Amino acid sequence: MTLHILPRGKWVGARVKRVEDPRFLTGEAKYLADLQSPGTVHAAFVRSPYAHARISRIDTTEARALPGVLAIYTAEDLSNLPPLASGLPIEGLKPTPQTVLAKEKVRFVGEAVAVVIAENRYLAEDAAELVQVDYEPLPAVTNAERAMAPDAPILHEDLASNVVYQKVTTLGDVEGAFAQANHIFRRRFHTNRFVASPMETRGCLSVYERASGQLTFYSSTQMPHMLRLFLSLFLGIPEHKVRVISPEVGGAFGQKMTIYPEQVIVAYLGKLLGRPVKWVEDRRENLAAATHAKEQIIELEAAVRSDGKVLGLKARLIGDGGAYSFNTASALIEPLAGAGIIPGVYDIQAYQHEVIAVCTNKSPVGAYRAVGWTAPQTARELFFDEIARQLGLDPAEFRRRNVIRSYQFPYTTITGMVYDSGSYQESLERALEIVGYEELRRRQAELREQGRLLGIGISLYVEPTAWGSESALQAGFPFPSHDNATVTIDPTGKVRVGVSVHSLRQGHETTLAQVAAEILGVSIDDVIVEHGDTDRVPWGMGTYASRSAVIGGGMVALAAQEVREKVLKVASRLLEVAPEDLTIENGTVFAKGAPDRSLSLSQVAFAAYLDARVRAEGEEPLLSATKFYNPKSTYSNGCIVTICEVDRETGLVQLEKVIAVEDCGTMLNPMIVEGQVMGAIAQGIGGALYEAMLYDENGQLLTDTFLTHALPRASEIPEIVIEHLETPSPVTIGGIKGIGEGGLLATPASVAGAVLDAIWPAGQAIEELPLTPERVLTALSEASVS
Amino acid sequence: MQLVRLSLKVNGQPVEAEVEARTTLADFLREQLGLTGTKLGCEHGVCGSCTVLVDGAAARSCLLLAAQVDGCEITTIEGLTSNGTLHPVQQAFWEAHGLQCGFCTPGMVLTAVALLNEHPAPSESEIREALSGNLCRCTGYQNIIRAVQLVVEKQQRAG
Amino acid sequence: MKPPPFAYEQAGSLAHTLNLLAQHGSEARPLAGGQSLLPMLALRLARPTILVDIGRLDELSGVNRSNGELVLGATVRQRQVAQNPEIVQVLPLLVAATRLIGHPAIRNWGTIGGSLAHADPAAEYPAVMVALDATFVAQGPKGEHEISARDFFLGPFTTALEDTELLTRIRIPRPRPGTGWGIEEVARRHGDFALAGAVVVLERSVEGTCRRVAIAVIGANARPVRAMEAEQALAGQPLTAPVLREAAALAVKAIDDPLSDVHGSATYRQRLVPVVVQRALQAATERAALA
Repeated sequence: MTLHILPRGKWVGARVKRVEDPRFLTGEAKYLADLQSPGTVHAAFVRSPYAHARISRIDTTEARALPGVLAIYTAEDLSNLPPLASGLPIEGLKPTPQTVLAKEKVRFVGEAVAVVIAENRYLAEDAAELVQVDYEPLPAVTNAERAMAPDAPILHEDLASNVVYQKVTTLGDVEGAFAQANHIFRRRFHTNRFVASPMETRGCLSVYERASGQLTFYSSTQMPHMLRLFLSLFLGIPEHKVRVISPEVGGAFGQKMTIYPEQVIVAYLGKLLGRPVKWVEDRRENLAAATHAKEQIIELEAAVRSDGKVLGLKARLIGDGGAYSFNTASALIEPLAGAGIIPGVYDIQAYQHEVIAVCTNKSPVGAYRAVGWTAPQTARELFFDEIARQLGLDPAEFRRRNVIRSYQFPYTTITGMVYDSGSYQESLERALEIVGYEELRRRQAELREQGRLLGIGISLYVEPTAWGSESALQAGFPFPSHDNATVTIDPTGKVRVGVSVHSLRQGHETTLAQVAAEILGVSIDDVIVEHGDTDRVPWGMGTYASRSAVIGGGMVALAAQEVREKVLKVASRLLEVAPEDLTIENGTVFAKGAPDRSLSLSQVAFAAYLDARVRAEGEEPLLSATKFYNPKSTYSNGCIVTICEVDRETGLVQLEKVIAVEDCGTMLNPMIVEGQVMGAIAQGIGGALYEAMLYDENGQLLTDTFLTHALPRASEIPEIVIEHLETPSPVTIGGIKGIGEGGLLATPASVAGAVLDAIWPAGQAIEELPLTPERVLTALSEASVS
Repeated sequence: MQLVRLSLKVNGQPVEAEVEARTTLADFLREQLGLTGTKLGCEHGVCGSCTVLVDGAAARSCLLLAAQVDGCEITTIEGLTSNGTLHPVQQAFWEAHGLQCGFCTPGMVLTAVALLNEHPAPSESEIREALSGNLCRCTGYQNIIRAVQLVVEKQQRAG
Repeated sequence: MKPPPFAYEQAGSLAHTLNLLAQHGSEARPLAGGQSLLPMLALRLARPTILVDIGRLDELSGVNRSNGELVLGATVRQRQVAQNPEIVQVLPLLVAATRLIGHPAIRNWGTIGGSLAHADPAAEYPAVMVALDATFVAQGPKGEHEISARDFFLGPFTTALEDTELLTRIRIPRPRPGTGWGIEEVARRHGDFALAGAVVVLERSVEGTCRRVAIAVIGANARPVRAMEAEQALAGQPLTAPVLREAAALAVKAIDDPLSDVHGSATYRQRLVPVVVQRALQAATERAALA
């Protein structure tokens, strides 16, 4: 396979305006909630108000009697649906199957107990309130460490423990490293549980045609084909009679990867009732019952030489998995992925990690942008800042002494990740240059003298991307991960691209069209990219883990290249010029050096389909090709620097600026890269300063509305400065690396680092994030900061 | 269940309707009039996705009962485009890459339209403040602010 | 998240409104702008059986000046408060407070009376009225009566209004010329309810001493309170930074029912009180000097 089929050119690398935008700008775009199907009935779920309780009785009589209510179902009614369980073959992970409705016991506030079907959502909610559920409350446990104690309340009695995974791995000579070290440092962090909060909540619409046995399932999902597969298995409907359509997706960020109980129920009830069933999640449900993320308790220990060289690391990562570890091995994804990235961009030769996954009475954990990586990046970078200061080194200099240098690529980390290429030190130096680092440190010292607290945070990161099979394996998740594209030129010369990497509206319809246009020599106006409908696009895994640019770009390039060769073969016969002497530009096929010997692409395509004379024996008339791509792993990198000021009287943090130097290899469209970076940074600012899903000791969720759960707004996000470095990957088509997650991987560390820098040494006492003004002020008042 | 009779103008068209008393303006627009461009992101008045113009001023359609706007003139995102030409604010959002998933976009665009109607040349901090009632989870806001600035710059150039 | 069922009546007059309130008692809720009530309905935290829409009553929508006071109708919208030339000239404090309420779309429908009757302890208007010594006019089956702002707020979302009464007008004494004001808040995000805030109205003598001061605290207490000890400490004193700081420290003593929630503990809020009071005093002193 040639990696060089995708050159930068007229389209690839250009700041092309998004072709999908007009329909969003005019309100024509149809999201799940906007779909209307005649005769639709609406679902509302009755959800547990208790974190942990036995269900002794459910009485639906009164609710059923309400006019407009069609039916109410409890776990008993849906016992023929199998429970959701982890499908990942990970040794040592104990299964915690989740029935689609809680049976006998509830394990978190928001767990679905019953479902009401009514003529509209207003009535469904009225009836849901009337369903009487008798609970016998049980003691709840909401802290992962407490859940590990022998006397803790047990969520899954058959397991006799809340610990569903525990494993120690030793890599390199850890004992030797710690024996040789001049200094040993220790630090503990408890990172906050926060959530994707896509502006569009979850939702689905199930339309079943009894005569044909065909189920059409509309759902705001990232993985249409995986959802189709699971629905087919759960419902026993043959896969060819299930069609999944993911309409416009109003943000997902990982939360819409999971196959949820609600989806299975709604799909099933559509079939059972013979009427379309629609469920549009409300915000309170989304905050309570859609997957949470990013909470880990991380203890780090570092063996450091007196010159600042880190000789070895030990890490203990406890993932608070919430109530169930269901279909993505969810309780484990945080700490297991986290363990792999603790060494990060640094040259670490000895490393021991202990990974623990624990169930607690909280919402289950799932994927959220930079899955598993945000917490360890935050912990390690904040830890390194403190080590540097304690050694009397500048945090930037400390990083410089430990970072992997460019001459070391390809670099195999102690955890087995193969870093293909990058600009780790270069991105650090560039970021420092942009902020005027030395001058800034001087300004910081001057302001300190005046009693003002300026802080500078540095987060240097590597981001595993291109989640194909190899990447997944290197991150500790052994599952196949490839995708497919079909590129077709129709008889009039227009190009149709079908991809299995579903766009969550990051701009695939533009970037993947740019790839096809580049190779086929047409304008992107003549290309349409289709996705999100299992009947219209080839099979594939979907969109997650910063894989769509690399895998999507690669597979479209491969398919387009094959179609190009077909076009040239046909044109060669029509023009009587050898294929290798032909090229395509601006929709015209012509002889290189003799542009008058030309045909329009539509003439060639028309002939290919409708003129048998241009075809040799055994050749296909269709100008179409389907190609898969399963790239080698590739790693993006960058450096995020934050400047902030802390109000020492209130603890409020004012962000002055965030500088992001990023390197995602070849950029298909810098404008879209910047959009990804800025959006992820904003989410990272939220995670560092504002967002946390808080439970009280009884397991009540305290942040179940947008009044109590604070997302950053335009007034909280400062100027973000982005600079691109481009180190093309030597292992992927076109040199593309992914870009979706780095901002959220690295920003919390950068922002929190800036705050802790501003209040140093007071921040040493802070273990928990986010850095609310209260936490900051408390730390300030307990330490002397002069 | 009580029905309330309404007579109002939506996107320039007179509308006569009957709604259940508890129907929010957002649900009336979306479910009864099929104007699904107005989005519901939280239904409790925080996210701003449901912003529409009522008599020219921004309002959260999840925080109004349809009954309250009897006699008013409503503009939704569908009413902003005239004869297929994008409104300058829509055009600027496109050029500045001021949207990704698009879900907050109708509310953002209408909030920006209302701002510019009142303050044709807002400063950056005024723009941030005016948009601070609208959540966006994709863009980090920077390109949205840039889009509003772009409208101002274009209008100033046009004199 | 849909509102529960209720009936809706468009009030044709004040008398009509009062009749409906008398008829339905605690089952009825007046609907002014709805910007606080609608979220509570959506979350099903409020369950009235009838909403009486007073949003269009001309009787309640005026801003008038009379006898050294400003009289605001209860349904004057917050947007109008911020734009009314009379208020802009006479009560810039009220304009500044309005700009701290939520976001423009909220202020376009939210009303002054609605905010006061809602009595959110972290809201701006209640504390401003307490600081300005405003008087509220309530009307009910027994006719009209007046309640001073300081007696009106009983606790979170609780006021001295009877179920059958309606807040109709707000009477605000015109501050004397030369009066300075300050309003300071600490909120986690712009537009959020304050974790703690302070409103200060201050008169300065020609000698530069404090002739009269009112300090009201927002957010840290279950209802807006005047910081009496701080006020007393300032009386007659020179308005220097150390004096202001010392007086501000006393403001905490006014907290008699501390607030605590997911955004900030009672301890934290109380630590903020002297900070916001001091800042508001500073701003008021500077403005008074200019007057």
